[in-house]
Amino acid sequence: MLSTIQPPRYLSRFPLRGRTKSRSFHILSSAQPVTKTCFAADQSQILSIRDSLLNRHLSAVELTHSYLDRLKQTEPHINCFLHVSDPDKVLKQAQDIDDKIKRNEEVGPLAGVLVAIKDNICTADMPSTGGSYILEGYRPPFDATAVKRLKDLGAIVVGKTNLDEFGMGSTTEASAFKVTANPWDLSRVPGGSSGGSAASVSARQCVVSLGSDTGGSVRQPASFCGVVGLKPTYGRVSRFGLMAYASSLDVIGCFGSSVADTGILLHAISGHDSLDATSSKREVPDFTSQFTYASSLKSRPLEGLRVGLIRETVDAGVDSGVKSAIEGAAAHLEQLGCVLKEVSLLSFSLGLPAYYILASSESSSNLSRYDGVRYGNQASSDELNALYEESRAKGFGSEVKMRILMGTYALSAGYYDAYYKRAQQVRTIIRKSFKAALDENDILISPAAPSAAYKIGEKKNDPLAMYAGDIMTVNVNLAGLPALVLPCGFVEGGAVGLPVGLQIIGAAFDEEKLVKVGHIFEQTLEGYNFVPPLVTDVGGASPEL
Amino acid sequence: MGSRALLMLTNFNFKTTVSSFGSASNPFFLIKNNLRTRNFSTKTRSSLQPPDLPGLAETARISLAPNEVEEFAPKIGQVIDWFGQLQAVDLDNVEPAIRADTEGDNLREDAPQTFENK
Repeated sequence: MLSTIQPPRYLSRFPLRGRTKSRSFHILSSAQPVTKTCFAADQSQILSIRDSLLNRHLSAVELTHSYLDRLKQTEPHINCFLHVSDPDKVLKQAQDIDDKIKRNEEVGPLAGVLVAIKDNICTADMPSTGGSYILEGYRPPFDATAVKRLKDLGAIVVGKTNLDEFGMGSTTEASAFKVTANPWDLSRVPGGSSGGSAASVSARQCVVSLGSDTGGSVRQPASFCGVVGLKPTYGRVSRFGLMAYASSLDVIGCFGSSVADTGILLHAISGHDSLDATSSKREVPDFTSQFTYASSLKSRPLEGLRVGLIRETVDAGVDSGVKSAIEGAAAHLEQLGCVLKEVSLLSFSLGLPAYYILASSESSSNLSRYDGVRYGNQASSDELNALYEESRAKGFGSEVKMRILMGTYALSAGYYDAYYKRAQQVRTIIRKSFKAALDENDILISPAAPSAAYKIGEKKNDPLAMYAGDIMTVNVNLAGLPALVLPCGFVEGGAVGLPVGLQIIGAAFDEEKLVKVGHIFEQTLEGYNFVPPLVTDVGGASPEL
Repeated sequence: MGSRALLMLTNFNFKTTVSSFGSASNPFFLIKNNLRTRNFSTKTRSSLQPPDLPGLAETARISLAPNEVEEFAPKIGQVIDWFGQLQAVDLDNVEPAIRADTEGDNLREDAPQTFENK
C-alpha cells in the first residue's frame, strides 16, 4: 500500500499542466486506484485521486458517485450533515473536471476531492446556520477565505456538517437540529464541536473536511472518530468567514483519513489574508514536502527527535485504556528513534477555567451580533429591546445562553479584573510554560481526551463534567500552538473497540514538523485498522473500472 | 476604568468580595448586595430568584423564562464557583495576554489613502 511520491510542486497554488507532470510520475507511482476501496489510513486519498484522474483510471463523476452513494447509505445512521449539496450540481462540477482533463487543460491539485465544511464556516451558495435556530436558512453573501481557496483549487464542497451550536460544546449534542452519531458506535457521540466533520471523514462520506478548533473542537472529535485532525497555529489560516466564537482562540482546522491528506488540506487553506487582521504574514512552507513513504524510510527515521510526554495528561482521571494506548504510541515513537522523556507543565490544570472564562466572555461579545435584525430569524415585537430579547431567546439553545450569561458576568463591572483579566494572565503563564517545554523538546505528546467517546446523553446535564473532558486540548489554544491528533490505538467499547488519538503539539508555526512526525508514525504503525465497521458493512458502491 | 469609578460611588469594598469568591459559603449573597447597590433601574426583583441571572439576562438582551432561570442558575453558579479557583493563583507581575501570537505587525502604513467620495 505505497503511496505516490509526489514532487512538492504539484501542490502549489497555481494549477499545473496536468499531463506533462503525470507522465513523469506515472512511472514512479505505484498508487492503487481509489476504486479498489483502499481506505487504509496511511494512504493519501488526495494523491491517489489525483493520480487516478490524471491517468484516466477513474473519472471524477465515478468517484463522486461512489462517495455520494456511500453518503446516502451511511447518513441515516450517523446524521453528519445539516445540508447536503444538490447531487446534480456536485456531479456537474465533477463533469467539468472530467471535461477539462479530456481537453488536457490544467486542473487544480484538489480537483475532484470531495470536502465537507463545518456549518459555522460561511459558504455563499449553501445555508450556513452555525448549528443554531437563529441562523436557520441563512445564506451568507460570501465564501469564507478557506472555502474560497479550496474551491479555487478544484475541490467539490459536498455539504455542511453538524456541530455544537456556534462551536460551544464537546459532543455535537448541542446542535439545534440533530445529534450526530459516532460511526464506531451509533450510541455514542462523535465528539465536538466539529463532530459532523469528523464523523463524515470517518465514515468516508467525503475525502477531507474542515472544522474549527477553539478549545479542542477538531482534535477531540478526531480522537473519538479515529481520524486525523490538525489544528494550525493561531494566525496560520484566515478566520474570515468563520463565525466567531472566541476570537483570540478560534482557528479553522482540517480532518482527513491520513496525515498526508490533512497536511495537503492545511497547506491549501493557509496563508495571509488581508481580510483577517490576525492572520500571519509568515511564509507557508510546503508541509507536504516532508512526506517520505514507508518503502524509503530508514530504520530509525526520527533519530534524535526529542519528545516530551506531558505528565499531567497521564495522571489520575485519565481512562486506563487511553493511558495504555498513549504508552504504546510513545513506545512506537521510541522505536522510530525518538528520545522520550516526561515533561511537567505546572500550570496545566489552570488552563481549563481560564479557557472557559475567556471563551464565555469573548463569545458573549461575539454573539451579540445575532440580534434578529442584521440576519437570521426575527421574533415579532413592538419594542426594540423586546425584539432583541425575544429573537435571541428563541434562536439560541440553552448551552449558548448559559455561556453568554457567564461571559456577561465575567466581563461586568467589578468582575472584569477578578475573572477576565486573571484568565488573560493565566494565558501568559501557560504560553511561557509551553514555550519553555518546546525549547527543550521538539514536540510534546499527550492524549487528545481523557477517555474515548461517551454515550449520547451521558454528559448533557453536568456542564463541569463536560468541560473536564477538554483538559487535554484547551491549553494548546491558549498558547496558540499547532497540534496534530492521529489515531494510535483502541479501547474497549462498541462492536470492535473505540479509537483513541495521540495529540502531538509543536512550536508556533511548526506544522511542518508535526506533519512529518505524524506521517512517519502512521506509515509505520502496524496492526490497526481505523476504518469503522459501518463503512465496510454498508459496502459502498465502488464503481467498476 | 469606568467600573472602578462606579465602585467608589457605591462605597463598595472590593477586597472583601474578592476574597469571598473562593469560599464555599454562599458567595452569591455578597454578589447580590453588590448588584443591588449598583443597580440603578427601578425594576423590582423577587427575592426568591437568584438575583444576578435576570440582571445578566437583561444586559445580554436575552429574555429568560422562569423555568430557564431555575434550570440555569445552579449550573451557572457551579461553573462560576469553579472559575473562582483562579483567585488563589499568584498573578502579580504577570502581563495579561490579549491573544496567543506575538506578531504585531498587521497594521497598514500610516499614510493617507483617498477614497471615492460617495
